[in-house]
This record gives sequence, structure tokens and C-alpha cells, in this order.
Amino acid sequence: MWMAHSRSPYGAKRLALACFALLLVALFLLPAQIQGLLQYLDGPVGHVVRVPLEAIASIDTGIAHRWEQYMALQGVREENQQLRKEIEWLRGQHSQLRESAAATERLTALLHFKEQALPTMIAAQVIGRDATNRYRAIILNKGESDGIKPDMGVVTPAGVVGRVVKTTGASSVVLLVTDPNNAIAGLIQRTRDEGIVEGTQQGLAQLKYIPLLSTLRDGDRVVTSGLVGGFPRGLVIGTITSIDKQEGALFQSAELMPEVDVGRVEEVLVIQTSYGQSTMTGTGADLLGKPSP
Amino acid sequence: MKYLFYLILVLLLVPLQTTLLPHLSVWNIKPDLGLVAAALVGLFAGELDGLLVGLAIGWVLSLFSAGELWLSLLTNGGVGLLAGFLGRQVSQVTSISLGVGLLLVSLASGLFAAMNFKHLDMSQMWWMVESIVLPQACFDGAVGAGLYWLLSQRFHVTRLRTE
Repeated sequence: MWMAHSRSPYGAKRLALACFALLLVALFLLPAQIQGLLQYLDGPVGHVVRVPLEAIASIDTGIAHRWEQYMALQGVREENQQLRKEIEWLRGQHSQLRESAAATERLTALLHFKEQALPTMIAAQVIGRDATNRYRAIILNKGESDGIKPDMGVVTPAGVVGRVVKTTGASSVVLLVTDPNNAIAGLIQRTRDEGIVEGTQQGLAQLKYIPLLSTLRDGDRVVTSGLVGGFPRGLVIGTITSIDKQEGALFQSAELMPEVDVGRVEEVLVIQTSYGQSTMTGTGADLLGKPSP
Repeated sequence: MKYLFYLILVLLLVPLQTTLLPHLSVWNIKPDLGLVAAALVGLFAGELDGLLVGLAIGWVLSLFSAGELWLSLLTNGGVGLLAGFLGRQVSQVTSISLGVGLLLVSLASGLFAAMNFKHLDMSQMWWMVESIVLPQACFDGAVGAGLYWLLSQRFHVTRLRTE
């Protein structure tokens, strides 16, 4: 490599430097204004970028489905047998739960509890992953024009996936429950102790700020507490796999195995309103196995 | 024609980076194609084009990331501008020198981003550097060098750069 001065438009160089300096100053002095200015353009640009993004995502999904249908059939027989056993077990559980539900209904009527409205949900498809490596996030094919706003909760029938952090007109970014920047109010189902669920750098989750007197143990389920954020109460977040109780500490914490395999999730439900705010609409509610009105 | 190429580049980068690259990731690390593209545009088309295309890439990619807008604008725009300046000063760029340059720039931007993460203690910061920032920098350098090598096989890159 040797040094040489090729033909250089001096004006362009000065203009580039001036633009960059101006941008630096603007970003540091007026960050909110710059962000607000660009937000006006986010909608139309999001719609334009959605076209190639959805086209490539659908090709990608098509290839993945073909692969699953024709190439990856090994072990299906064993899996089928295992699933049959699981169905048998679940049938038993189902009948027990029906009994419990009937008992709960009777007791609720006795206590005159106000019936809770089920949340409104929007079904969306995962069309991509975060553009950087620094965040664990997924991109959905629905955005502001479909009624999605930042801070809305995102779930699958299995449990909590994450929280919407950014939206454009036609897409939205969901920060996963396994990201260390995410925080969701959680509750240990058995002991009713509350804490905050955060992601870990290893791609799992942890429940922090659990009271020292809590009698939690491995295998306990953690659900959403419904006190803050875009989640109603009782959605499964994960299962406790280990407990960290340090001497002299004010709280204990526990490591969780998330209920949803967030690395493989393809379709999700965005919770538009929590309990008690509206009646339920069609689309996604069926996926959770809840009755339509 | 040039601007149409830039538009297609920016539009295609999003599905490439968000949909296809996760399949090609190694240990869950994927290269930052936006950074590589901004550097190559800066190198071939000069600092102004590098800066503007870098800013456009940074902005559009930030719409599809949970990350901060300003960081994305600064790193991609800065890389385009820097590559433009270097492209005017250095007459012969080899794929290896470009790869090393991209590795260093990616490392610097990754460290800057890691320092901007809130509530990270030293051990967490070190974990992030050794498991995300460093591998990604190597990946970016390798992809940039590979792309430059491919371009140099197909086109007369020195003439492209000075014309």
C-alpha cells in the first residue's frame, strides 16, 4: 500500500466534513428533535422497506417449510409416539382442569367477582431478527397502521415472548424476554412472590428482587404479575432452574428457563389492551384457546 | 443511475441483514453488512457519497433494530466518511488492508456501543466484548475483504476508485 493523492473534489470533502460535524452537533444538542424529525419519515420508509423484506421473508419461510416437509422427516415416528403419550397425559390434565374451572366458576359466582374482559390481540408473523448482534429482538410484519404501539406485550399460546420497543407504519421490533435490557413484572405462581424478570447475556432469563423469606424452589413457574407493562396477569414466562441466595443480600434471585423458545418463534400475538379495557376481538384470541364472543 | 444503485443497496440491505444473515450466523454472530457497504461506497465513490449512504443505511437499519438511532447514524455515517478519506489518500488498497481496516473500525464502534449500554459491570462488559464485539469485528473484516476481492476480480478497482 502506498500513499497517493488521487483526483479529489475539495468541495465534496469539505461538504462531507461539514455535514458530519453538523450531524454530530445536532445529535448531541438536540437528540429528541432529530429523532422526532426522522419519525415523520419512518412510516413511509417502513412501508417501502417492507416490500423486499416480506418478499424475502416469505421465500425464506417457504424454503424452511419445504425443508421440514421433505428433508427433515427423520425421527418423525419416534416423535409421533412421544406426542401420543403426551396427548394421553394432557387429556388427564384437561379433565382435572375442567373440574377445577367448574369449581372456580362456582366460587367466583359466590364471591360476586367482577368478570374480567379478555385482552384484545393482533396476530403477527416474525419476518426477521434484530439488524445488530447487540440486542435479542425480532421484527414483526405488523406496525402502527395495524394498531401496534411501543410497550405492548407479545405472547404465543405457550407464554411470554417480549415487548414492542419500536414501530414503523408496517413493522415493529420486539425486544425478547431473554434480552438483558428487557424487564417484565413477574410472579412466582406457587408462592405469589413478586419480582422483575430480566434477560441474561447467556440467552436465558432471571427473576430478580425476590423477597428473602420466599420459599421458592426449582421447578416453580413464573407468570406475569399484571401490575405494570403490557401484560395481563397469569401468562407463563418460564420455570425456575436455579436459585441464587447470597448471604447479606437484601433479595434473592433465580434463573429461569423461558417457556417459549424465542429463537424459533414464527407467529406471535400482540396484546393491544390488557384485562378489563375492552372486549375481545377475533384473530389471535383463538390461538390461545379462548372462546370467541 | 448511481442514486438508483444506492437506493436498491439500502433497500436490499434490510432483508439481507434481518432475514437471511441469521441463517448464516456463526455462534449467533452475523456480520454488519451496513458497515461493510458504507465502507465500500466511501472507498469507491468518495467521502460525501460514503457519508450519505452510510447515514441512510444507519437510519433504515435502526428502524429494524432495538438499538439507538444516533449510534447507528454515527457509526455507519462515520465509516463511510472515513473510508472516503482513506480512499483518496491511499492509492492501492488490498483486500487484506481493507479487511484489517474494517476490523478495527468495527471493533471501535462495537466498544463504543458496549460502553453505551446501561447497567453493565466490568465482567458483563468483558463478556460482551469477547463474545459479540470481537467476533463481529473479525466477521466484518473477513466479509469486507472477501467482497473487495470479488469486486477486484470482476472490475478494475483502482480505476473505479480514481475516476
